[in-house]
Amino acid sequence: MEKSFLEATQLSSFLEKLRLFGELHGPTVTDAGVATFAPIAAPSQLRINYRRTQIPPKKYLLPFREQLLSYRDGRYAEPAETQPPIVLFALHPCDLAGIAYLDLVFLGDNTDPGYAARRARLTLVGISCEPDDFCFCSAPDSAANCDAFLTAVKSGYLFSAVTARGEAIAAAAADLFSTTEVPQPVAAQHPGTGVAPQGPELRFSDNPLWQKFADTCVSCGACSVCCPTCYCFDVREYPALDGGGVRIREWDNCFFATHGEVAGANFRPTRLDRLRYRFLHKYCGFTPLQGITSCVGCGRCKAVCPVGIDLRELFSAARGEMSP
Amino acid sequence: MNERVKDMHLPFTARLIERHELTEDTSLFRIAPEGAALSQLSRFVPGQFVQISVPGAGEVPISPADLPGEDGTLELCVRRVGHVTELLHQQLPAAPLGIRGPFGNGFPLEEMTGHPVLLLAGGLGIAPLRSLLMHLLRHRERFGEITLMYGARQPKLMLFREEMAALAARGEMRLYLTVDFAPETNGIQSCAVGLLPDLLKGFRFDAPATYAAVCGPPPLYRCLIADLEQAGVAPGRIMLSLERRMRCGVGRCCHCAIGQKLCCVDGPVFRAGELKDIPEAL
Repeated sequence: MEKSFLEATQLSSFLEKLRLFGELHGPTVTDAGVATFAPIAAPSQLRINYRRTQIPPKKYLLPFREQLLSYRDGRYAEPAETQPPIVLFALHPCDLAGIAYLDLVFLGDNTDPGYAARRARLTLVGISCEPDDFCFCSAPDSAANCDAFLTAVKSGYLFSAVTARGEAIAAAAADLFSTTEVPQPVAAQHPGTGVAPQGPELRFSDNPLWQKFADTCVSCGACSVCCPTCYCFDVREYPALDGGGVRIREWDNCFFATHGEVAGANFRPTRLDRLRYRFLHKYCGFTPLQGITSCVGCGRCKAVCPVGIDLRELFSAARGEMSP
Repeated sequence: MNERVKDMHLPFTARLIERHELTEDTSLFRIAPEGAALSQLSRFVPGQFVQISVPGAGEVPISPADLPGEDGTLELCVRRVGHVTELLHQQLPAAPLGIRGPFGNGFPLEEMTGHPVLLLAGGLGIAPLRSLLMHLLRHRERFGEITLMYGARQPKLMLFREEMAALAARGEMRLYLTVDFAPETNGIQSCAVGLLPDLLKGFRFDAPATYAAVCGPPPLYRCLIADLEQAGVAPGRIMLSLERRMRCGVGRCCHCAIGQKLCCVDGPVFRAGELKDIPEAL
């Protein structure tokens, strides 16, 4: 992996080069003051030193609501894919890890056609980050799961190409890089240790924290909405007056009471059930991803939870129980 | 520039041929899948499910009530309980429907070969088990004794009653029926009043060799598993066909998680032994 130095003053020119590979999107702040990934029309909109966006980049791969099918005269048809190529710039390693997990889910057997089409048109450019108190990822400067990566150093960035598309970016931006002097990366001040896969049996432990969380949880589902690896969805069909109609897929939420419903019963009627369900999915994994924790340590769930639930309390309590 | 791969969301067309009303709210539908659906469905294993689309209403997972006929038609026993099934009941013959699948694992037919099979159905649970029963009877010589125990709420809600009685009369299987309650004026003699576990209690069979197939409402599983194990049926041979609200059928939407397993790909047929440590499974 060849690295090159990009001076901070060259960043605007670098963004112009990125536009050759698609519509440029990156971290910015809305009028309401919310950090978000959005189109970057002018370099001044970019907030490269952001901490975390409220909604993770999964929205580019799994839109909140998307049309799966349309039908007319009783026949269903696939929609035409319309999303243009997009360059997603300045993704932190946790969000890149989140996309890597979604790839496992949606690009495996029975590849999801909509996801695959959008993924193929997405160029990912990562950037190292400075973790804050909410973060607990394991590698804030890991140049993985992306096409190219920028490592923040004094007065600029070190560019590294990861994929062939990253090499193409390097070639396009070659005249912006200076290779004479390679500064040392700024060591990340990192508080977290990452989250190891948990034992599924912890779910039904009689640890009092479970009940404490269940008593305070308001089932708002914000943690799932903001989670970069939460992907479960509902499918609905809407007829139109002209005899046609659409079938759509939209984000669902395992904290909603209807999530575990079947005709005449509900397998997760209480908040405790739903907390345990989320724990199981996030930290233990479902078929065929059992044993893979999908928590990437971005800290969003803790940052958005209105009642301050932090499952890591449970993990450390459980570790304490196990090691006398 | 189209990178879309073959879309597993896209249903094949299936025409509704006829609807035969079984009870007030439950009908047997015969549908004719078209095109590539025919070859896909020829791989159907009893216990698997298909996703049936009613254009304008949506999609529901249904476990076919029989194997596909020689002409490729499929029988679905459906109760009118929700939006999609309600609209399905309103469809007229020749109406276009959609079908995806089959999905899931189905019953382990090879493993069950040579063994006695005890089918325990509660209410609408007879629908998925009927496809297993039909397979067993069509290959009668491959299996040991076949017994069906079927419980319904009351006599008029008993599905396929004449058909089952006729099969039993041919001596190919043993049939035990029970109802939760029977109207006093009804005078039906052939039907016991009581729950399925009551039927099982007085039943003598070769338990260690038997495979049990159970389908019904959740409370049914809880009491039957204990009774079957007590009778001597191995937990690995108690096959439970479970219901969840599968949306996608391919293990993504996460509505059908049972512990760390997904009903749509790891099930819907589970062994009692697999579910022991999953309190929310049943």
